[in-house]
Amino acid sequence: MSENIVEKEIEVKDMSFFYGEKEALKNVTLNVEKNKITSLIGPSGCGKTTLLRCFNRMHDLYKGNRYTGEIIFKNQNILDKNIDITKLRTDIGMVFQKPTPFPMSIFDNVAYGLRLKGIKNKTELHNRVEHVLKKSALWNEVADRLSSSAMGLSGGQQQRLCLARTLAPEPDVVLFDEPTSALDPISTKKIEELMQELRGSITMLIVTHNMQQAARISDRTAFMYMGELVEEDATDIMFTYPKKQMTEEYITGKFG
Amino acid sequence: MDLRLIRKIKGYIMLFLSTLAALIGVVLLFAILYKVIMSGLDGLNLNLFIKDEAPAFLQASGGLRHAFIGQLLITVIASLIGIPIGILGGIYLSEYAHNTKTGRFLSSLADVSISIPTIIIGTFIYSILVRPLGHFNGWAGAAALAVILIPIVMRTTEESLKLIPWQLREAALALGTPMYKVIKDIVIKSALTGIFTGVSLAVARIAGETAPLLFTSFSNNTLSFNMNEPVASLTVSIFTYASSAFENWISLAWAAALVITVFILITNIILKQIMKKRSY
Repeated sequence: MSENIVEKEIEVKDMSFFYGEKEALKNVTLNVEKNKITSLIGPSGCGKTTLLRCFNRMHDLYKGNRYTGEIIFKNQNILDKNIDITKLRTDIGMVFQKPTPFPMSIFDNVAYGLRLKGIKNKTELHNRVEHVLKKSALWNEVADRLSSSAMGLSGGQQQRLCLARTLAPEPDVVLFDEPTSALDPISTKKIEELMQELRGSITMLIVTHNMQQAARISDRTAFMYMGELVEEDATDIMFTYPKKQMTEEYITGKFG
Repeated sequence: MDLRLIRKIKGYIMLFLSTLAALIGVVLLFAILYKVIMSGLDGLNLNLFIKDEAPAFLQASGGLRHAFIGQLLITVIASLIGIPIGILGGIYLSEYAHNTKTGRFLSSLADVSISIPTIIIGTFIYSILVRPLGHFNGWAGAAALAVILIPIVMRTTEESLKLIPWQLREAALALGTPMYKVIKDIVIKSALTGIFTGVSLAVARIAGETAPLLFTSFSNNTLSFNMNEPVASLTVSIFTYASSAFENWISLAWAAALVITVFILITNIILKQIMKKRSY
């Protein structure tokens, strides 16, 4: 499908990232399109997860990490030291590789981000939790045990719960760090279907080792190698006529 | 065939030696328990808990109420001082000083303080809280026990918090949670059983200390709630009574030893049960 106006959600401009002295990302420039799914692919250690974690400044947690260049989001350079990181993280949510339920009830897990935003009204909390659990295809499975511990859910359910928790505060962007690599095929399919439903209303970035997954679900694909962004294009072009030879070799399984 | 036989024999020797060593350890423990129970039951009666010290030469049946209450007083105050400091220190080490030189330095410093002989802690507190005041007092005893308690609670808290996967903290932070709320709502909550167990074992440990009290709270032969005065404790009473020449005192010391042993045994068994439930 072709669209005339491409709206940019995030602009990465000549961005480099350092773990101490090691340059893990080299002069990356990338436009992330609004309300589309963009896949980041590449061999292990190529920097795709490192790039993903720049968007919500997760690297700030560890000492000695440094960014140069710019990432523009909502007309602001989010790499700026003075931005409000907690606000940034309510706009840009993240789903991790392993499910990370909090040690509290299913309801409280989903309501956590809402309460952080200052929503205290019980009816509103309940309505929003129900809404987002329905959206995450989890409502039917948990409606009768909202107050029991989230630890009792299966791995796939836990991951959908984490997605629901991320979606509850209504972020503009959701980052997925290999969200299905710890899940069975059926749970994987459910997560992928959810992502398809969210397409058009939320911008999504997904790091994946699974090239079929990237081809199946994403609108755009970016191929990274040794900390550099080699090529980025519409997914169907990337998987049929990539411009760079290295991309073709990776996609056809010649290395990786 | 020959080699196999030699190995078989070596295997039996190894089995025999390690079984023997295990038996020696267990037999000694049971011997202590047996002696404490047998001798302790003689002196064990209601008077032990409801009467204070009686002059030994009267051969009257006194009790150790003053020592039980004194012990409780000192231990509770030491815990009230030591537990919050220990837990907060552990949170600093695990959450804020995670993977930093300062954190590692403080952590090994705490390890060193755990292995300092407790009598040295007693003399240290003596020099700052007893000598300047001119007399033994309960506060000094509580302070000495708190000094022993803090590094133990700090390290067990740190270790319990470190068991919680980093990804859980990242997930909470990724929702826009401020660090203090991540610690309060997520990390502490996940590690609560571990922290609780560590704290309880540490309290049981200080409840059994004698040496640091000899120089600080010393002892008192009457019931006293005044922490500015010397305060009696079970452990020091056991020491005094057991080394006295009076039959009834020695029997009281045995009874007190039995009570304190049973108390520690029961707390340990309960805690082990809690741990089991947790590890499921």
